[in-house]
Amino acid sequence: MKTARLFLLFSLVALIGALAIVPATAQDDMSEFVFAHSGPIRPMDAHSHWYGSTHWMLRLYYDCLIGRAADGDGYDAEAAHSWEAVDDTTWRFHLREGNTFHNGEPVNAEAIKWNIDRVRHPIGDIPLYQQWAFVKEVIVVDDLTVDITTEQPHAYFEYDVSYNGCELIPPAYFEEVGQEEFNRNPVGSGPYTLVEFSENDRYVFEAWDDYHSGRPEVDRVVFQVIPEPSAQVAALLAGQIDMMTGVPVPDRENLEAADGISLLYGSANVMYHYYARSSTDGGAMSETYPGYEPATLDVNVRKAISHALDRHLLAEVHGAAEPRLARVCSYYPEGFADKYADPDVIAEWYDPDLAREYLAAAGYAEGEGPTIYMDSPAVGRGGSAKEVSEVAAALLEEVGFTVDLTVRDASAFAVEVQRSGNNREMMLAALGCGPALLPLFYQCDWSSANDAICVEEWDEVADAIQVTIDMDARLDLWEQWWEHYIDYAQTITVFEITNVMALNTAEFDFSPRADGWMIFRGLAHADM
Amino acid sequence: MRGFFISRMAQLVVTMFIVSVVVFFILRLSGDPILVVAPDFFSEEQIEQMRKFWGFDRPIGEQYLNFVTKAITGNFGKSYLAKRPAMELVFERLGYSWILAAAAAAIGLTIAVPLGILSALKRNSFIDLVITSMSSLGTAMPSFWLGLMLIIVFSVHLGLLPVFGALEAKSIILPAATLGVGMAARLSRMTRSAMLEVLNQDYVRTARSKGLMHKTVILRHALRNALIPIVTVFGLQLGWLLGGSVVVESVFSWPGLGRLMIDSISVRDNTVVQAGLLFFALSFILINYAIDVIYIILDPRIKFQ
Repeated sequence: MKTARLFLLFSLVALIGALAIVPATAQDDMSEFVFAHSGPIRPMDAHSHWYGSTHWMLRLYYDCLIGRAADGDGYDAEAAHSWEAVDDTTWRFHLREGNTFHNGEPVNAEAIKWNIDRVRHPIGDIPLYQQWAFVKEVIVVDDLTVDITTEQPHAYFEYDVSYNGCELIPPAYFEEVGQEEFNRNPVGSGPYTLVEFSENDRYVFEAWDDYHSGRPEVDRVVFQVIPEPSAQVAALLAGQIDMMTGVPVPDRENLEAADGISLLYGSANVMYHYYARSSTDGGAMSETYPGYEPATLDVNVRKAISHALDRHLLAEVHGAAEPRLARVCSYYPEGFADKYADPDVIAEWYDPDLAREYLAAAGYAEGEGPTIYMDSPAVGRGGSAKEVSEVAAALLEEVGFTVDLTVRDASAFAVEVQRSGNNREMMLAALGCGPALLPLFYQCDWSSANDAICVEEWDEVADAIQVTIDMDARLDLWEQWWEHYIDYAQTITVFEITNVMALNTAEFDFSPRADGWMIFRGLAHADM
Repeated sequence: MRGFFISRMAQLVVTMFIVSVVVFFILRLSGDPILVVAPDFFSEEQIEQMRKFWGFDRPIGEQYLNFVTKAITGNFGKSYLAKRPAMELVFERLGYSWILAAAAAAIGLTIAVPLGILSALKRNSFIDLVITSMSSLGTAMPSFWLGLMLIIVFSVHLGLLPVFGALEAKSIILPAATLGVGMAARLSRMTRSAMLEVLNQDYVRTARSKGLMHKTVILRHALRNALIPIVTVFGLQLGWLLGGSVVVESVFSWPGLGRLMIDSISVRDNTVVQAGLLFFALSFILINYAIDVIYIILDPRIKFQ
């Protein structure tokens, strides 16, 4: 009897204890929008990492000097109410009077200088400095005016100044508490304050009454980490979250049929490409596979690969993608959507006969193409990669290649292949798609783990793009740049991922941003 | 008794040392964490710079010595990604894992022991068949599937319980039930077989012939003596619940240690993985020692040795 009682007692105490310890949530009348984030979410020190999906969240909490407009057309004033180019290498920013961080510290020129100097210096723990290398100096003109100078004219100045690491943190507070404590108790100056968070789990933001551009419409925005897509779908159907991204294909019909839920489509800001090695330099490849000469060193083989891939089919296999030929997302003018995103042009590009001709030009008899070693992650950014690579391998085999495909877990792929430069011949790369840094990656002095590319004429065009401020002149250069890109065929662009989102449209109104970022500064209540 | 504790402490130190060596070297062999942390656009020189910053350019022996000397004082280093002490992150999640394990264990025990006894008492009957079938089903059912089914029924269709997180008291019910059902399935089988063994013993027959009530015979004489194997399995299950409830924590977005470990492993945040794994190992060892003590309480013939 005593034993049985002990059992019962243990069970009861454990159960009651567990129920009592888990906190109860506060109920109030504030409007609350819950966004399911697949995680992980990185630390609150915005300068210390480059993870896009964490920066989405941080943009609620931190202001930048300027922000990218949601429709992709121009820039919004944030800490700076106006700005202008003084000359080709100097930009002047005029700051808002009386603007402060959430702790009352002023957002002044000194604070701007401190922030940009921090993010642009090559310290091991601040991995964003490459992106800010264009800055030569930050000059405090007066308390509310700051100049940023560049070594040479910088074509993507506004674009880069509003990108990752642009978030302003309060210098005095940070220097007082240090990075560790700042990550525990961050302070920003954006439209929302952070009221509570548990690392990489749940972040609760509340509208800040004193925000310079007015209090945001939605009172509370919650970023809730829910790793499992199926659990996100269930939570949305149960009314426990308001929005999710990357809706799995089998759930789309179900969600669309649910009352008050709508599917939204936008760019995921990610593209899939196949890298085909054009040299054995770069990364560990030549040490890992000593003496191996990839067939893709021959440009005809690379072109054969490009024409053997049916991009429409591959996009369909992925489930949420649009075929592309150029490595910039289609909403950027640099992407020349009318040419490189045109479905008819891309359909014509798929030409197995032409692929066979290129193989013949490379010296391979009909049906006896080279063996290609292909590496792929199982899951890429934005969805399935294994299936895409399997179909790509089958398409290549159709024109005469033999494909040896190796699929790895995403993190193993990153460490063992992509980042270490062990891509032996061909690998799938899921990458962001902005134009600003792109020309750099194909230049002679760029040290990449995946290849070493040096085409003099192409290099000159890339140099010119980076210093051409005038947009029309720059687009002319881009046109030339793409010709080299296509002709060299080292990066074989396949498709741009579409982000399929599901939103509680009964309560909230949100339009997907052109750049695919999930920033909820402009979130509104639905019209009733 | 003193000898018992001294020998157990010595075992603890040796085991923890072995675990620390294994964990450290396996993690180092699994790849360079800097390759995961560095941005896509970093050149090789920049990656090398980061490697130097975090000390990965040093000889591996030196890295291990550095790790052990700091770990002894509880300093496992800073998380590469969270930029906070790894142990602090582990402690933040620990409470949630313990709560979940305790609730699941409570559910498991509450279901398993009565059903196991009933099944043994009604051996080869229809009731026995139903209980053993349910127990086989519970053992075979993958926890992620069961978790999703519970979510669909109780959260989506009935709207009774939360799908995710640890936001309110009732948040624990679904994840604890998911884990508890699996535990109950395994424990009830063990309870049944342990009870069947003791029910045929002479002392049970003697107790019955003395005219003791059926309930007293079963609970005081039979169950108490059947408890040793049940407690052994329970202890192992509890250790598993603390460290192995990763899948359930992911399905229910429960902010426990298991999810922290999975997130950290996937991005090679080695300092957090090391701290977490050593903590799992320590918990497992301590649970086993607690079970040793429980053996002695349950069976006076067992001595502290």
